[in-house]
Amino acid sequence: MLRPRLLLRSVLHRTQVDEELDEELQYHFDSLVDQGIERGLTRQEAHSAARRAMGPVTQNREKCREVRGVNFLDDLWRDLRYAGRSMRRSPGFAALAILIMALGIGANTAVFSVVNAVLLRPLAYRDPARIIALGTREIAQGPADFQQVSIPNFQDWKSQNSSFEAMAVYGSREAPVVAHGAAAYARATEVSAEFLRVFAVAPFLGRPFAGDELKQGSDPAALIGYAYWRDHLGADAGAVSQTLRVYGRSYRIVGVLPRGFGFPDKTDIWVTALMSADDQKYRTAQNWRAVGRLKPGVALKQAQAEMDAIAGRLAAQFPESNAGRTVAVVPIMDRLVGNVRLTLYLLLGAVGLVLLIACANTAMLLLGKAMARTREITVRGALGAGRGRIVRQLITESLLLSVIAGAAGLLIASGGARVFIALAPQDLPRLDEIGIDRWVLVFTLGTSVVTSLVFGLLPALHASKLDLNEALKQSGTRSTTSGGVTRMRGLLAVTEFALTVVLLSGAGLLIKSFVALQNVEPGFRPENVLVMRATVPVRPQAPEANRYFREILPKIAHVPGVLASGATMAPPGHVESSGAYFVDRMPAQFDVRSAPEAVLSVVAAGTFPALGIPVKSGRDFNEGDTDGRPRVAVVNETLDQRAFGKQDPIGRKIVCTYDNFEPMTIVGVVGDVRQTGPAVAPQPECYMPYLQHGFNGNALSIVVRTATRPESLEQTLRQVARETSPDVPVAFTTMDASWGENVAAPRFRTVLLGIFAALAVCLAMAGIYGVMSCAVGQRTGEIGVRMALGAGAGSVLRLVLGQGLRLAGFGLALGIVAALLGARLLASMLFQIKPGDPFVYLAVATLAGAVATGASFIPAWRATRIDPLTAIRHE
Amino acid sequence: MSKPTDLIQGTLGLLILKILALEPTHGWAVAQRISQMSGDVLQVGQSALYPALHKLEQHGWIESEWKASEANRRAKYYSITRTGRKALADEAANWERLAGAVTAIVRTA
Repeated sequence: MLRPRLLLRSVLHRTQVDEELDEELQYHFDSLVDQGIERGLTRQEAHSAARRAMGPVTQNREKCREVRGVNFLDDLWRDLRYAGRSMRRSPGFAALAILIMALGIGANTAVFSVVNAVLLRPLAYRDPARIIALGTREIAQGPADFQQVSIPNFQDWKSQNSSFEAMAVYGSREAPVVAHGAAAYARATEVSAEFLRVFAVAPFLGRPFAGDELKQGSDPAALIGYAYWRDHLGADAGAVSQTLRVYGRSYRIVGVLPRGFGFPDKTDIWVTALMSADDQKYRTAQNWRAVGRLKPGVALKQAQAEMDAIAGRLAAQFPESNAGRTVAVVPIMDRLVGNVRLTLYLLLGAVGLVLLIACANTAMLLLGKAMARTREITVRGALGAGRGRIVRQLITESLLLSVIAGAAGLLIASGGARVFIALAPQDLPRLDEIGIDRWVLVFTLGTSVVTSLVFGLLPALHASKLDLNEALKQSGTRSTTSGGVTRMRGLLAVTEFALTVVLLSGAGLLIKSFVALQNVEPGFRPENVLVMRATVPVRPQAPEANRYFREILPKIAHVPGVLASGATMAPPGHVESSGAYFVDRMPAQFDVRSAPEAVLSVVAAGTFPALGIPVKSGRDFNEGDTDGRPRVAVVNETLDQRAFGKQDPIGRKIVCTYDNFEPMTIVGVVGDVRQTGPAVAPQPECYMPYLQHGFNGNALSIVVRTATRPESLEQTLRQVARETSPDVPVAFTTMDASWGENVAAPRFRTVLLGIFAALAVCLAMAGIYGVMSCAVGQRTGEIGVRMALGAGAGSVLRLVLGQGLRLAGFGLALGIVAALLGARLLASMLFQIKPGDPFVYLAVATLAGAVATGASFIPAWRATRIDPLTAIRHE
Repeated sequence: MSKPTDLIQGTLGLLILKILALEPTHGWAVAQRISQMSGDVLQVGQSALYPALHKLEQHGWIESEWKASEANRRAKYYSITRTGRKALADEAANWERLAGAVTAIVRTA
């Protein structure tokens, strides 16, 4: 137990403290002299008696300083200076070691800064742990099932529970918004009464929704987000009480929410929810999302139990809609980051392996250095430095190295995090929160210190165990190389190689899976398709929405460079709607939940050729399929096979539970499209002409197949859109980009794991090279003798290569076993391949073998160039 | 008789605390008092005394202050702190137990 204040004084005012000590001792001495004189000695005699009694003063002074803790700091300072000097003496070594560790620490810090921002840092709401997402759960689907909720169910949950202090529903979409006369897309969220209370957030300007604004059919009001207020309303305090048009409806702005609040999905505008009559009536109309705030002290389990009980009562009361269903009670954080957690922890684990490999490399470097310093260390030992003291000094050196590397690593990390963000899928939550904060700094410092122990302890302990006698007897400049060091280096190389094989296997599995994903036949041709999303600012069911598309589609078809054009409510990769379908007629009695289900899409004529979806039989829609004409439908091959088997579907009737339940005549069959991305098999799909179905018909994506680069038509189309209606906002993307978002997550982890594996391979190569060079150096004499006795270059090459490959072989075997065990973690991320895919492991083994051969070859080749005479004389 | 320096490890601290609990004083006086009070059985040399004093100070059991001594010279006076008194009580109790135990063994015929 050291008193920091006294220690500080001892260090900072050391002269004064030392002088005081001297004065104290002098006082003691003088008192001794006085005592002697009192007892009748002469002054001279008293002096010498006192000096004898005092004993060796210097040594005692040292003891006093030691108990004050001064020596510890003195030694640390001396060690640090010494470490700095020894780094400057071999700058190449220091630079290499720092580079390796900086890469390792930097990569780890970068990944950690993401994990920290996305997974660890609490959400920026008050008491975020109490904010809960509520959903409908089909019990048979297992605990992960989470569906939207219907208004009647939600109202029962809300009125019957006592666990939540607030509960709200909301629905969010990119909406056409007119502010200051300009139409643009903005994220608009409809919310019910207690939404702000759930998040415990209040407007910093204006006021929250008033009670009567929340009643259905009342004066519509809007709250806006800070960023929207700043970017679109000039951060003007007068913005409150201005009006916005959202979906053509006027909302009065009543308040501005504080900066940083944007739930959900970076919402710009929150408006009071407008629920349709159907929404308010049907328990199966699961069109809303729900959140709640737990009362203080209520545990998640308690809340879940209560909601289960409520759901049980509702299931008994309304079995046709609620049987087998309960309430999913999930912390909002889990809903937000649940599906990226595994990926991020996987990456953190992978980058951790890279760090271990870097540590192994540095430990090997340091071992080499320790060997070269054997003499220095033994001399220090011989002069009386204790074992602990020597270890401490060597550890200080690795600590210094590590801390410098950590600082450099921080620089690498801030760049690395940017790369990370650029590669990350767009829907990775909380991306904008990534940065270097206190915890990241703590992580980096901690990593630096721990790694310095990992790579520094082994060489230091080894050095401290040196047999002084033996070492000093060694002649002159040659360093000793005991068998222990060789074994230790070999062990490190094997470990390093095994870790690399683990990373390579992981990356190999993900790459093969990703290639498989890329090779999936999507069922359409995404290249050279421009997508222009347009939303007519009217309520989704409004019939006048058609007019806009009827007007603009022919104009676009005539734009030069357009090969084909159409429009769909859901371009491939997205599903907007799905529901039950029935062949021939609607049965009088049916269970919506057990009826066969299809993806339901409304499209314009020309969409199939524009997207490159082949018409297999019958016909495409045409301009004649309008309201008032016979209702028609086109189905995909999967639906055809499931519903009709070998019969001809053309001319048969189908009923879809979309906006009306009237039978439609099937006029065509088209090829399957993978509607939710390449990883999921095609579902049955029923296409309907948008002119016969108003629902969702106000928001369509116009798809245009172009002769040249699709982006080149963007300006022209934007012009056409503005001329057609300035009130309709449009947004552009390409089919390639939008389809690519479906594989963004696997691409992200594949690329990153690939980078980490490549880094590992480089480090492992350097490691094996180092070990083999050293081994050749040690065996120079032996090889010389062998050559003098007639061994040819070939046999020397085999000798050295054999040694290198033996190390690699051990590492490979260990690594493959570890990889096979670890690969199960990846199972859920793999597409069409198994974690034990033999091809991947074979490829990894081949690559690893090539790397090991390559890394051992140069030292081996150098061994063949040894001149026997020089070598023997050298020894 | 054993040599005066054969103080059991840690006992010197106890003695110093005891002396300082009586009144604050400087190092020399502490040594003098130990030998007086023990009837010259215990002699403490400066080589043990000052490290022990500094160690106690570092522990926070005693604190120091420069004052004029009886000989009207500047001397470093040590005084016991509140935690020091607590430590003294503990150490003294410990010592008695230890001494009792040793005595019990030694007296057994």
